[in-house]
Amino acid sequence: MTTLRAEGLSLRFGRTTALEDVTFALDDGVTGLLGPNGAGKTTLLRIMATAIPPDSGHLRVLGADPRGAAGRLAIRRRLGYLPQSPGFHQHFTAFEFVDYIAILKEIVDGRHAEVRRVLHAVGLDDQRGKKIKALSGGMRQRVGLAAALLGDPALVILDEPTVGLDPEQRLRFRELIALIGEGRTVLLSTHQTEDVASVCRHVIVLDQGRIRFEGDPVALAGVARGRVWTGPARADGALAAWRTGNGDYHNIGDPPLGARLADPGIEDGYLMLIAAGPAGRAA
Amino acid sequence: MSADDWHVADDDLRAYADGAARPPWLWSAEAHLGTCPHCRRRLARCLGPAVVHAGWARLDAELDAPRPGPAEALLVRLGVAAHTARLLACTPGLRRSWLAAVGFTLAVTTGAAHLGRSMTVPIPLLAIAPLLPLIGVAISFGPRVDPSHELAVVAPLHTFRLLMLRCASVLAATTALTGVASVAVPESGAVALGWLAPSLALTLLSLALMPRLGPVTAPVAVGSGWLALLGATVQRATGESVLFTAPGQAGLAAGAAVAALALWKARSAFDTTHHLGRVADPSTRRTM
Repeated sequence: MTTLRAEGLSLRFGRTTALEDVTFALDDGVTGLLGPNGAGKTTLLRIMATAIPPDSGHLRVLGADPRGAAGRLAIRRRLGYLPQSPGFHQHFTAFEFVDYIAILKEIVDGRHAEVRRVLHAVGLDDQRGKKIKALSGGMRQRVGLAAALLGDPALVILDEPTVGLDPEQRLRFRELIALIGEGRTVLLSTHQTEDVASVCRHVIVLDQGRIRFEGDPVALAGVARGRVWTGPARADGALAAWRTGNGDYHNIGDPPLGARLADPGIEDGYLMLIAAGPAGRAA
Repeated sequence: MSADDWHVADDDLRAYADGAARPPWLWSAEAHLGTCPHCRRRLARCLGPAVVHAGWARLDAELDAPRPGPAEALLVRLGVAAHTARLLACTPGLRRSWLAAVGFTLAVTTGAAHLGRSMTVPIPLLAIAPLLPLIGVAISFGPRVDPSHELAVVAPLHTFRLLMLRCASVLAATTALTGVASVAVPESGAVALGWLAPSLALTLLSLALMPRLGPVTAPVAVGSGWLALLGATVQRATGESVLFTAPGQAGLAAGAAVAALALWKARSAFDTTHHLGRVADPSTRRTM
């Protein structure tokens, strides 16, 4: 079932075009939203979360139209949202903060039990009485995720939840996101192509406010098929190249004749799309 | 008699489990159950595992429940619903540091009124007091001052209701403190309450302008306008101003009513961060 359908969304901030003619649909499972800084990811997520309306275009989220107050309310009752900077009341404990958000979500009956449930779901059983200012970055992100899971939402929107986490915390967060994605729709904005490869079954690449790619992770890697090769030196004219652990160079671009082609990964496909620019010659 | 000497009879235990036991027998059974594992096990069998599990879950949840502070506890005692009291208690404009600052400001203005006895109107108090709720509301709502503002906006609870709750609590607190200050002003009579109408008018006008001007510019513009109006109307020797006469107060009250109407009409603008966001949301400017 389609959880969310966006058609021709556009939004400008003054002279800056944040989004232009964005069209896509989301189903159950985890969808990754990839893009460089300033691509429009956060703006798009804020529109999906009903925080801001688009200038033009149509949007249906969970069967409701967010243009009207009744539609927004219907969406918000089934939505979980973790903004890029969730903003915590530092003097609250983890329990108190999630409890506060539960009140804002109008969870009245069994509210404390629901707060316990979501804190347990994100592995914060032992930390729920700790002040937020005493928690690590990874723990705080879990508190934000717990708040997003209140009320068992059908759509969860996560804006770069793995930023600033150490590798172990990132792995554990990925595990959580994969779990959350079972039986509901999750839209995950990230800079990390590894996040997408690990947990997403669908990927959208956004660049300069436009969708540059929509498909599965294998198809994203396929964008760079025949454009990745290894060699003893950095190739002239390569869009990107780096030295790997075994001393060879991993090159992306137009390979020279006789180049030793390699299997592309998601990162290669993503770099091809972004490096090719808005004209989309790589796509 | 020790706990081993007797046990609660089956029928009584069932009555206890059903909630049908009555004092004083209820107290006796409860005291015994607290010391007798055998009877507790029998009671658990009477209730069934689902009820016992639900009871433990309820107990656990209550043990974790936030302990209400003095303000929140007072609100609950006054009949405010517990969840509403919690929302009100989270208002930044009700923090002790802010209330202390309000108290200090009022003490200074009242002291100034005592020193300037040649004035027939306590103008320092009447000029400054209306700005206090204006500032209190400004520091209680908006993306710059409320760390979880965006989460509040996309939550089902209508943002306008949250705003009104916070305004009401800030206005109530500052009105109570300023009321005390008015009583301390020497020989001014009813004119010492001349801050009440402008307090309402300025706060409501600032909120009504917020969707257009943003959460910082609106209160700054309204506060500056108030000081300019005072500057233009106050007689320096006596402190008198048309604003603190009956017609002036009626005009300010009418202004408050118009601002309230405008705010009600603009209430849907608070439902998204659209207007606030384009003007002031830092996250909008930092990254798209």
